[in-house]
Amino acid sequence: MSEDLKIVGLLCNWCCYGGADTAGTARMQYPPNVRIIRVMCSGRINPSMIFKAFEEGADGVFVGGCHIGDCHYDAGNYKWSRRAKIVQDIIEEFGIEKERFRFEWISASEGEKFQTTMDEFYKTLSKLGPLELE
Amino acid sequence: MLEIKHTLCPSCSVGCGVNVVLHNGDVVGTYPYKRHQVNEGKNCLNGRNSIEIYKSKLETPLISNASVNFDKVIDEISGELKSCDSDKITVVCSGNNSVEEAEMIKDFAESNNYNIAFYADNFVNLNADVASYEDIENASNIIVIGDVLYDNPLIGRRIVHAKKNGANIYSCVQDKSVTANVSDEIFDSIEATLDKVDDSSVIVFNTIESGADLEKIYGADCKALPVFSKCNSKGVSSIIDPISKEDLIELLDKTDVLLIFNDDIVSEIDYDFGSISTLITLVPCLNSTSEVSKIVVPIKSWIENDGSFVNSMGETQNFKAAIESESLSEVEIIEKIQNKL
Amino acid sequence: MSYVLAKSKNSDILEAGECGGAVTSIFKYLLDEGIVDGVLTISPQDDIYDGVPTFVTDSEDLINTAGSYHCAPTMVGDLIQKYLSDKKIAVAVKPCDIRSINELIKRHKINPDNIYTVGLNCGGTVSPVTGRKMIDLFYEINPDDVVSEEIDKGQFIVELADGTEKGVKIHDLETEGFGRRLNCQRCDVKIPRKANIACGNWGASEGWTFIEINDEKGEELIEGAKKAGLIETKSPSQDAIDARSKVENIMIKLSKKTQDATYGKVNEMEEWNRCIRCYACRDVCPICWCHENCEINKSYFKDSGIPPKPIAFQGIRLSHMSFSCVDCGQCDDVCPMDIPVSLIFDKLQKKYSDRTGYIAGVSDDIKPPLYSPAKEEL
Repeated sequence: MSEDLKIVGLLCNWCCYGGADTAGTARMQYPPNVRIIRVMCSGRINPSMIFKAFEEGADGVFVGGCHIGDCHYDAGNYKWSRRAKIVQDIIEEFGIEKERFRFEWISASEGEKFQTTMDEFYKTLSKLGPLELE
Repeated sequence: MLEIKHTLCPSCSVGCGVNVVLHNGDVVGTYPYKRHQVNEGKNCLNGRNSIEIYKSKLETPLISNASVNFDKVIDEISGELKSCDSDKITVVCSGNNSVEEAEMIKDFAESNNYNIAFYADNFVNLNADVASYEDIENASNIIVIGDVLYDNPLIGRRIVHAKKNGANIYSCVQDKSVTANVSDEIFDSIEATLDKVDDSSVIVFNTIESGADLEKIYGADCKALPVFSKCNSKGVSSIIDPISKEDLIELLDKTDVLLIFNDDIVSEIDYDFGSISTLITLVPCLNSTSEVSKIVVPIKSWIENDGSFVNSMGETQNFKAAIESESLSEVEIIEKIQNKL
Repeated sequence: MSYVLAKSKNSDILEAGECGGAVTSIFKYLLDEGIVDGVLTISPQDDIYDGVPTFVTDSEDLINTAGSYHCAPTMVGDLIQKYLSDKKIAVAVKPCDIRSINELIKRHKINPDNIYTVGLNCGGTVSPVTGRKMIDLFYEINPDDVVSEEIDKGQFIVELADGTEKGVKIHDLETEGFGRRLNCQRCDVKIPRKANIACGNWGASEGWTFIEINDEKGEELIEGAKKAGLIETKSPSQDAIDARSKVENIMIKLSKKTQDATYGKVNEMEEWNRCIRCYACRDVCPICWCHENCEINKSYFKDSGIPPKPIAFQGIRLSHMSFSCVDCGQCDDVCPMDIPVSLIFDKLQKKYSDRTGYIAGVSDDIKPPLYSPAKEEL
């Protein structure tokens, strides 16, 4: 069952996407359930993208951005972090456990952090099971 | 300058009130009319969009798609009418016309011995008890035929209220519809749904397949509320007897000149209108019927007119012109044509 | 901030206006002096239950707008934003009106230099049709015989042509499902302190309007109207000031009690499965102004069916503006399906303000934290 869990991962081009790449080239194992979508900045992620992912059947959504202070566009990740809190507030109201939505700061060199984050997230989702939206 | 004026919604026969926003002499939007007894300021999307009829108004008369002036078009119409036998001329009245207009159209047709047709969603007049909106709210058993919640939300709202009061809702409607979502049971056929009727039931319907369905509905021993797709179908049906689809098609078969008053009969009836030699349409803005008509005459939209509509439950509501206009009303155009005959 | 008691010096206005007619007189001053192009306020049309926003450009017509209307749950923020943004105007505002105007100013949709706001203290509004039904049921009075209504000392009071009054406790009305609109019952902003001045009868002596002057512009209004000979003023006693804040506090306490009720989550409410996607809630929302390129109209959301999945409809709207929800209740009022839309928006704005301290249309921040370019997390 857990094999079918779908995770959508929206990763910032400059940091977290690089982190996933690092994990990949170093052949670190992480759950294959994550479908990665590269975005130019976590600050360009609209909450509606997260909602659309859940609506379309994602069991979990992950967003990875640059560490605070490292944003390629100066302040995009600040904007995202504020927006992310709103997303957490909202999804709870719609019967989506807030653990199903996770965001993390991962730099391009942190392949290991990407791996462990994915492992953890996958474990959390396995415990929650598939998302059933009415 | 900014002004907010009352009017009625022309998009179905529920009879909701709506406020129009006028700005520098133009209709620019709607504003909730919360004092209105029928809808308390709530309007559906169609209702709020109804001002598009005014916004996309046709400016000049058209003959074969070319703009002409009013004198020319009146001459042309009277010419067409004079050159044809009166029993081959059919006048189509519509539920979009106000009570006053419908009376005028009827007089016009009768005094010239033209055929007259009025089509109201295939509903015909049957002697039956009409339920009021209040009756719906107080019913303990409601039979719904058609997706009333979606098509006529302000009647749908009454059904929702009834459900809150503990009523059972039985519907003959598609599975995946808003009406189905509030129903206790869904049925495929009208007969099966009507089996649920008891003496405290109310039937609400906005669609039927055939006249036989209508007889079944009215044969059931309870009040019924037909909801029409046009604002004044109820009012017009007490002036001109509505005819069924079959009868209308039969009439069209022997018609050479079809004079249509503010109706979009082409989009409603599956018929080869090309077989009628002349179509003349009076409309506020272009529609599928005017597209295939030889002669098109612009008329005042309801926002520019005074008049009255009768809503589904039979209540007459008056409305006043919300904006002045230079367009001619149907009544004025009929007078002009009559003078030339 | 200072307090003043004011009263009209014009006998017609004194007669027609509520408690001293200061508001109407101030509008008259602004129009007569040519300081504004027009005044946006409420006047009754069909009857006293039918308050309709009216733009008055001739001070002679102001008299028709005098008086208070509690059965007029109107909203003027969007009207100003859409149609009057290029004019100099004065506007009478309830707390939710000024909050929406304040939010629109933050969104650069209203220019604060073009607008004078005269606030009206507000204990809540009643929906017209509900109001009439309630007068018929609880007062045993024909609603058509009522010449004016008033909310005072926890009662909804109606007055007949012969001067007789009858009041019923609002609490009693509300436990029966009547009384004020649901959002008014939980509203805790009773005095519009973001308006230039806030007027009302709380704490005022008979025949006077109690005014709280909130800013310099408010000061100008009072001084100007006084100089023009339209109003007379006096200072309120400390007792009057205390009495007023007592009324305010009681009202707020009552609202807080209502707020403590636990509101269900969207997925637990069956109301949402009758949403017909008519966009009435969005279109009426004074804060939502960018309809033309609206996210919920994009192809990838538009086709999500009827009823739409709540997260793919209200979820998006929530993410766009719930932190700025002023709880005006317009979305509840216009929903053809009676879905309590504002409940969830208000709930989210309260969650947001608990975390960030930002109260929509009340807080001083130039922008809601979500919109701010500042480099800070919440």
